[in-house]
Amino acid sequence: MSYLIQQTLIYAIPLMIVALAGVFAERSGIINLALEGIMIFGAFIGVLFVHVCQKLGVFQLLPGAANWGAMQLFEILGMVAAGILGSLFALLLGFAAINLKADQTISGTALNMLAPAIVLFFVRIIANQEELRLYKGDAAEWFMIKKAMLGLGEKDGFIVNTFLNKVYLATYLCIIIFIICSIVLYKTRFGLRLRSCGENPQAADSLGINVVKMRYSGIIFSGFLAGMGGFVYALTTSNCMSNGDVAGFGFLALAVMIFGNWKPLNIALAALLFGMFKCLAAGYSSIDINGDGVKLLYELSKDPTWGKVLNPNFYRMLPYLISLLVLAFTSKKSRAPKAEGIPYDKGMR
Amino acid sequence: MKLNRFLNKDGTRSVFATLISILIGLLAGAVIILIVGLVDQKLGLNEAWKGIRLLFLGLFSKGQQAGRLLFGFNSTNIGDMLFRAVPIIMTGLSVSLAYKTGLFNIGASGQFLAGTTASLFIALKMNTAVVAPWIVWIIAFLGGILAGAFWGAIPGILKAFLNINEVLACIMTNWLAANIVTWIFEGSGLQCTEGTKTQVIWKTTHNGVATAKMGLDKLFPESQQVDGGIIIVIVIAVLVYILLTKTTLGFELKACGSNRHAARYAGIKDKRSIVLSMAIAGALAGAGASLYWLSGSTEFHWQTYLSLPGEGFTGIAVALLGACNPIANIFTGMFLSTLDVVGSKLSFYTGYNEYITDVIIAVIVYLSAFSLLIKTWLSKKFKAAEIKKIPDVVITSHGPEMAKTPPVPANTGKEGNE
Amino acid sequence: MEQATSEAYPYVIEMLHITKEFPGIKANDDITLQLRRGEIHALLGENGAGKSTLMSVLFGLYQPEQGEIRKDGKVVQIKDPNDATALNIGMVHQHFKLVEVFTVLDNIILGAEDTKLGFIQKKEARKKVKALSEKYGLSIDMDAKVEDITVGMQQRVEILKMLYRDNDILIFDEPTAVLTPQEIEELMQIMRNLKAEGKSILFISHKLNEIMAVADRVTVLRKGKYVGTVDTANTNKEELSRMMVGRPVQLVVEKDEAKPKETVLKVEGLTVPSKLHKNDAVKNVSLEVRAGEIVCIAGIDGNGQTEFVHALTGLEKASAGKITLCGKDITKASIRKRSLTGMSHIPEDRHKHGMVLDFTLEQNLVLQRYYEPQFQNHGFIKFGAVRQYADKLIEEFDVRSGQGPITKARSMSGGNQQKAIVAREFDRNLPLIVAVQPTRGLDVGAIEYIHSQLVKQRDEGKAVLLVSLELEEVMNLSDRILVMYEGEIVGELDPKTTTAQELGLYMAGAKRQDKEVKAE
Repeated sequence: MSYLIQQTLIYAIPLMIVALAGVFAERSGIINLALEGIMIFGAFIGVLFVHVCQKLGVFQLLPGAANWGAMQLFEILGMVAAGILGSLFALLLGFAAINLKADQTISGTALNMLAPAIVLFFVRIIANQEELRLYKGDAAEWFMIKKAMLGLGEKDGFIVNTFLNKVYLATYLCIIIFIICSIVLYKTRFGLRLRSCGENPQAADSLGINVVKMRYSGIIFSGFLAGMGGFVYALTTSNCMSNGDVAGFGFLALAVMIFGNWKPLNIALAALLFGMFKCLAAGYSSIDINGDGVKLLYELSKDPTWGKVLNPNFYRMLPYLISLLVLAFTSKKSRAPKAEGIPYDKGMR
Repeated sequence: MKLNRFLNKDGTRSVFATLISILIGLLAGAVIILIVGLVDQKLGLNEAWKGIRLLFLGLFSKGQQAGRLLFGFNSTNIGDMLFRAVPIIMTGLSVSLAYKTGLFNIGASGQFLAGTTASLFIALKMNTAVVAPWIVWIIAFLGGILAGAFWGAIPGILKAFLNINEVLACIMTNWLAANIVTWIFEGSGLQCTEGTKTQVIWKTTHNGVATAKMGLDKLFPESQQVDGGIIIVIVIAVLVYILLTKTTLGFELKACGSNRHAARYAGIKDKRSIVLSMAIAGALAGAGASLYWLSGSTEFHWQTYLSLPGEGFTGIAVALLGACNPIANIFTGMFLSTLDVVGSKLSFYTGYNEYITDVIIAVIVYLSAFSLLIKTWLSKKFKAAEIKKIPDVVITSHGPEMAKTPPVPANTGKEGNE
Repeated sequence: MEQATSEAYPYVIEMLHITKEFPGIKANDDITLQLRRGEIHALLGENGAGKSTLMSVLFGLYQPEQGEIRKDGKVVQIKDPNDATALNIGMVHQHFKLVEVFTVLDNIILGAEDTKLGFIQKKEARKKVKALSEKYGLSIDMDAKVEDITVGMQQRVEILKMLYRDNDILIFDEPTAVLTPQEIEELMQIMRNLKAEGKSILFISHKLNEIMAVADRVTVLRKGKYVGTVDTANTNKEELSRMMVGRPVQLVVEKDEAKPKETVLKVEGLTVPSKLHKNDAVKNVSLEVRAGEIVCIAGIDGNGQTEFVHALTGLEKASAGKITLCGKDITKASIRKRSLTGMSHIPEDRHKHGMVLDFTLEQNLVLQRYYEPQFQNHGFIKFGAVRQYADKLIEEFDVRSGQGPITKARSMSGGNQQKAIVAREFDRNLPLIVAVQPTRGLDVGAIEYIHSQLVKQRDEGKAVLLVSLELEEVMNLSDRILVMYEGEIVGELDPKTTTAQELGLYMAGAKRQDKEVKAE
């Protein structure tokens, strides 16, 4: 059970934060189809940051270098680096969508093509292979928090085992950031104005709100969250490795956003649901649902009849199948920001 | 005067816009090569210069001698280029047709996989001792088309009946296809057992099925790959062009794509049109896959679940670069397959790798997102030289009506009213 | 001191010699407008006369090429709406600038939020809004979402937005277009209240009755030019309309007595469900239209007319009822089938339904006929025939455009787009013409033309079903009037014996005839 919850969280948290990235863009009026690309780029930047710092021995300059706490700071820096570069990358979309009034679907697609190409180009030059890994060690060794570190080595409770053992700080940071961002979106002047630009930019403009500025803010927030989410994804699910791919994770985040009806709380729930499906796909063979030591799903996949359907291929495609079904059932009710995807033109009143 | 009229034609402007996009894309690639060369000690300026020359002239590369690149006519390169153009022209046509009818087909990858699966199964499973190989080829080709059409119709149906954005539906069906294809081939017994290659499916030549060369092997004797596929593709492109511009069906599909409500008002079955557009687009992508694999000269890596075939996305570049004109797509497809050849030369002869060409393709797609802007800019440039002609907008007693005329994105259904 | 001098100056706002050009057109040509303190000043002109452009200049949305704006006698620069707000100028736009999914309160404070550490202080805002709404008698529900409230309340929200910002120069852009007669009366009262509190009001309209009722002075514009300013006390409707149009207006359409013949359209018990709420949008409507008569469905916008027409033409499904056209049951027929049976349709929304804006004019002209053998051969379009036909219609109906048949419809003016639609529908020569608001947003010339064409079609023996929101159009054009209120036909009136006042009572639901009377 602990394993199931931990694994679900590991997939759900990046989904949640990247879906929120989508919300910030769409609420300001820009369709951010490039979430996937920004994630790929952010993952690369984060991994590259850690890789280079390891190589140059920078982390040893930190106070208490061997201390696990210093490593956490290091991890945060990686997240920030990924976020900032993610923002810069997203600005390409912002520029096309806001200044040039370009088709947002096409420019988003372009970024989704650009990110893996650039990442793979540099990965090959830096690492001389198809993937960039840590310079030494692995993510678990460097960044994972274990209960012994917190002085809880002997404790064996459910809470301790689930939430304080073999976890990453990034997971919890993302939850906090998610909450803060949701409050910003709904309780502050900035949030109110941002949302008005995605719904009725003409109205916002007539009230003296600078639509261009708000949309740029939206896309910068969006890029930061998506870039950071990409790095967190790479850190927690693929051992801090960058290979120009997040296997459609950014698109799943889009589905989560739509399923969550562009609202943070619903998105958090939707992300948990999708995280669980992703977790099934990745770890169905080692999940012990009811804690009786029998790994039911694994047994089923080996069963001659059940295994025909409930095999790895099935679990892998499950999230996409569910997304499609969810879209089919929620499309009638879902309410996208009204002005999303439409370039704002002052002349068109 | 004649020159001016020529320069003022919409088509001419499109061509110029395309050429500008290509140039900027190539320059972006060159700049990256140069910067990386300067920064990376392993490469250096000399390597960068080699890279840049290959980038522009890779199609005419004849290898290198004592570290110096040689250039000249190379029939292997050109033959290979023509062969590699086959699938991407087809996916390009697929994206173009959808785009002209108001749909953004980002699902060509999935349709390509569907076509791949059907074609390979038929071509490898049918007994060529009983059925003549050329008949098997035709059945496999048609099978690929049907499979692609089926897979393309799914997002079409979702859009028409449930109003799901086709872009999202296409993305999901892409990944579904990627997983299903792996699943199907896993138990198919079609894996190549030759040597150490366990990741690939047999070439269709294993069963004696291959596309006819149609004389192209005589033209490009050194190319192992070139075959009649490219001729079939050109014929299909012309047919798509005729469908879109000369027929009532094309009229209906375009009307529906441009303004679904008005099409419905005029008695056109809008739902049918959307599904049909997507099915035809899917069929084109599927046909591209068939022609590619039925050539018998390439191997299919069947474990596709982690990444989608690039043909679908390159198809977007082919389409947009050619302003979604089917005839122009033949040329843009060949240009992008030239880049593909260039990429392999780069990784072969220099310290750079083939991904730089993907960067260039992405830059080109990015630019085409605002190709309209480039076109408008061009028309202003041209017009400055010309005597004033009648403006596009005739002014009646109405106020600033033209202030409301920037293009509204197709089929948003949010056209402004007065 | 400062206050004292500005109080002495009679004009709060002066717009002097304003010229605003758009590519190829002077939307405002040397226009002068002076607003006195505490008056209601009307700005009168046809669609396209330049009223909205002038107000956009005042509100900072456009920059004029020439001319200056003065506030209290001092020249000011208004570069964007923020500048206008700083000068206490507020505007209720013709199309409300409200965020539909926000609450009323959020809409009022948007752009003028009081914050502490970036957090919005809603309590204080709520108090202020409450005080204002009580002072001016503007009743609203602060926590309702804008999409759920009536148009009248939406307008009150817009007014409160201005008051919340302490604006004292208030611009109302065509505020009555969307209101019921009662709501219009209410609005007039609100405007008088505002004036009594010392606010200065600019009231943009082309409706003479309302201007005469509420305004102190009127400035008239025509085709972008200044015509004159008069006191309402010293003028009358005839003079104003002459100033507005530039020639005596033919307010009455010349037509002979109708000679109705056989029944062309028969609708029995048509019921259409609503997309927005649970109630039916159209309830058990029955009517008949005969050859050679114009039957008009009158009513205030949103009383089921749109849904009725959609069900009639096949764009929406009816849940009950029967439609018979030329003796054939078309209740379940497809749109194409209805059209072929004999129905042509001038749609309400010419951009949504009437035209494919990215198509050329000629493509739009054959939009309803491209499949006829005349224009296609085995699925291939006969381009020569299409061009010939388009040229003929353009000539016959005087459709003006930049490049003739190959002009993109998007680049044409609204009036010519509408003419093209009318040409396309009339030339099909079908027994029934369904015309929905055929003159919406057009200038007087185009309106007169379309009216005379409709009468001509009637005289040629067509059955015409007209749906209109304009009282005048209804009174002038129709041979019989059916009034629709909340999805029902509440009365059948004869335009020769009824008055506009009586018609208004039916439209507002204040009066209704017995149900049996309306079916003949």
